[in-house]
Amino acid sequence: MRLLECEAKEIYARYGIPIPKGVRVKAGEKIPDLAGIGPELVLKAQVEVGGRGKAGGILPATPADAARVAEELFRKEIRGVPVREILIEEKLPIRHEYYLSILVDRSTRQPLILFAEAGGVDIEQAAKETPGAVRRVTISPLLSDVPPFALRDLLGGRVKEFGPVVNRLWKVFREKDAMLAEVNPLVTTDRGVFAADAKLIVDDNALGRQGITVNRDLTPREREAESHGFSYVELDGNIGVIGNGAGLTMATLDLIQYYGGAAANFLDVGGGADQERVKHAVRLVAGRPGVLVILVNLLGGITRCDDVARGILDAGVPQTVMVRLAGTNEEEGKKILDGRGYPMFATMDEAVKAAVEAGA
Amino acid sequence: MIYGDRNTGILVQGATGQQGAFHIQYMNAYARSVGGRGVVAGVTPGKGGQEVHGVPVYDSVRKAVADHDIGAAVIFVPAAAAPDSIMEEAHAGIPVIVAITERIPVHDTMKAIAYARMEGAAVIGPNCPGLISPGEVKLGIIPAHLASRGPVGVISRSGTLTYEVIHELTRAGIGQSTVVGIGGDPVIGQTFTDVLERFRHDPATKAVVVIGEVGGALEEEGVAATALPVVGYIAGVSAPPEKRMGHAGAIVEGGEGDAASKIRRMEALGVPVAQRVAEIPALVKELL
Repeated sequence: MRLLECEAKEIYARYGIPIPKGVRVKAGEKIPDLAGIGPELVLKAQVEVGGRGKAGGILPATPADAARVAEELFRKEIRGVPVREILIEEKLPIRHEYYLSILVDRSTRQPLILFAEAGGVDIEQAAKETPGAVRRVTISPLLSDVPPFALRDLLGGRVKEFGPVVNRLWKVFREKDAMLAEVNPLVTTDRGVFAADAKLIVDDNALGRQGITVNRDLTPREREAESHGFSYVELDGNIGVIGNGAGLTMATLDLIQYYGGAAANFLDVGGGADQERVKHAVRLVAGRPGVLVILVNLLGGITRCDDVARGILDAGVPQTVMVRLAGTNEEEGKKILDGRGYPMFATMDEAVKAAVEAGA
Repeated sequence: MIYGDRNTGILVQGATGQQGAFHIQYMNAYARSVGGRGVVAGVTPGKGGQEVHGVPVYDSVRKAVADHDIGAAVIFVPAAAAPDSIMEEAHAGIPVIVAITERIPVHDTMKAIAYARMEGAAVIGPNCPGLISPGEVKLGIIPAHLASRGPVGVISRSGTLTYEVIHELTRAGIGQSTVVGIGGDPVIGQTFTDVLERFRHDPATKAVVVIGEVGGALEEEGVAATALPVVGYIAGVSAPPEKRMGHAGAIVEGGEGDAASKIRRMEALGVPVAQRVAEIPALVKELL
């Protein structure tokens, strides 16, 4: 889950990474006295999307006109996301902007630290245009500190200046279960080094131990699905999809697209789904407006096809449910649904074709 | 045979749990049908001295390996305990560790895998169905009746999609040498590169099916590093960006790891990529 900039900055500050003076303001709240923050201010929309600056989510202000500028920000949507909270910060007297991040690198299975002399810009673009502009060092996840040799490789002659910040961010990364801990830009000023912006993405599998109870990256329906143990993603089409296993369900969506249809959702009921879970899944998918037909594609390993069939029957939804069942207790499953108005198919391709026709 | 054969003695971690006990039964039924050793020991701390389906249970891996010749371990314990299990097995010298467990925090996985590497152990998973070498050994939960013995290796980040593929291959008369589910998490032990390298040294494997999905670049990296004939398939062509598609690792992030770019890179390496699962057997036949 991606944290808001202000949440990430509060964490950074607790780990000794300097952040600009600032105050959080929620929509509808009164703007507090800003005299102590600075003569020049920056108002930043707190939304969990990238490209915020380009989308008009960051505006300059003075303490005198901050209330008016804040009102303007609260009326905006940043790339489709309404602004519910803003961060009012001092405008830093920036000397130079750098880039620093630590991420989980899938290829090496280890943390990777990135540093660039040119921060504040689109870092992927900078890396493409100037090879060597972004320095990369992998660090063993077993190390509690970034060793000096790695700091020298990463920072060149700037170890004294940035070494402490790198080590503090390393601590944040490790202790907060971060998938990504980013400071862009990391700025130098007359008063020292500051994290002018902050991005922190926490591993979804570690939210519990990080004390995060609500995954804000999910829609309410996605959260309801999660409470049933389903993986669920809302899409724009009219064919409701239920599968078991993430890969098979994804492949089912792809096949719908291949045959010219559009899926309304991704729903993986998970391993060993029983009658109750299948019933909940079918009802959840059917309950979304605009779903014309439902496609159930299950390959039983641990999952028993007869359980699945009973679950589909129990759900009793108004839409046609197209069924493809294969594997454990396949024949019993088919018998349960036979003659009750549930079209059944032997292969994925046949089932998907029929669902696409029904959805067209 | 790339991670074990019928002579491999298997240890099950979490033997007295519901999942562990259930799959001990299935792994041993398979071992009996192929004349293999199967599961020889189970481990659950505090339950030493018990038996599960005739398999002796020990309090620790150290005690189990003192009594048995063990070549591989399969882990069925919950996410909070699984990283410790991986390290315990690696420390005891077990060379192949299959972690079925899902929802392990990534930082724990990174540490456990780094530790296992130092001990010289290969970790398969986590969040995976394990592997089967038809006619030899089953390490994990892949339904054995779908598989058949033959010359094609299968590597996949998925579970049921793998079953679908081997079901299609078997129906088309194409058997498998070894089927490996490497796991759906962002960080996994054995990657496509590692498994392909094992297949390269396996005389039973003549071609490999690489079943990938959105997220990361492990598929392209693996295919680029092998000389074996490969057929590819990538799930998630229709997946929207920045949405996690069931697997923790199945997400297109920052414009990277999308299916189209993976397919493009694989095709640029001369690898045929199936658009539908049903096309895979025909593409494989062309390579054999």
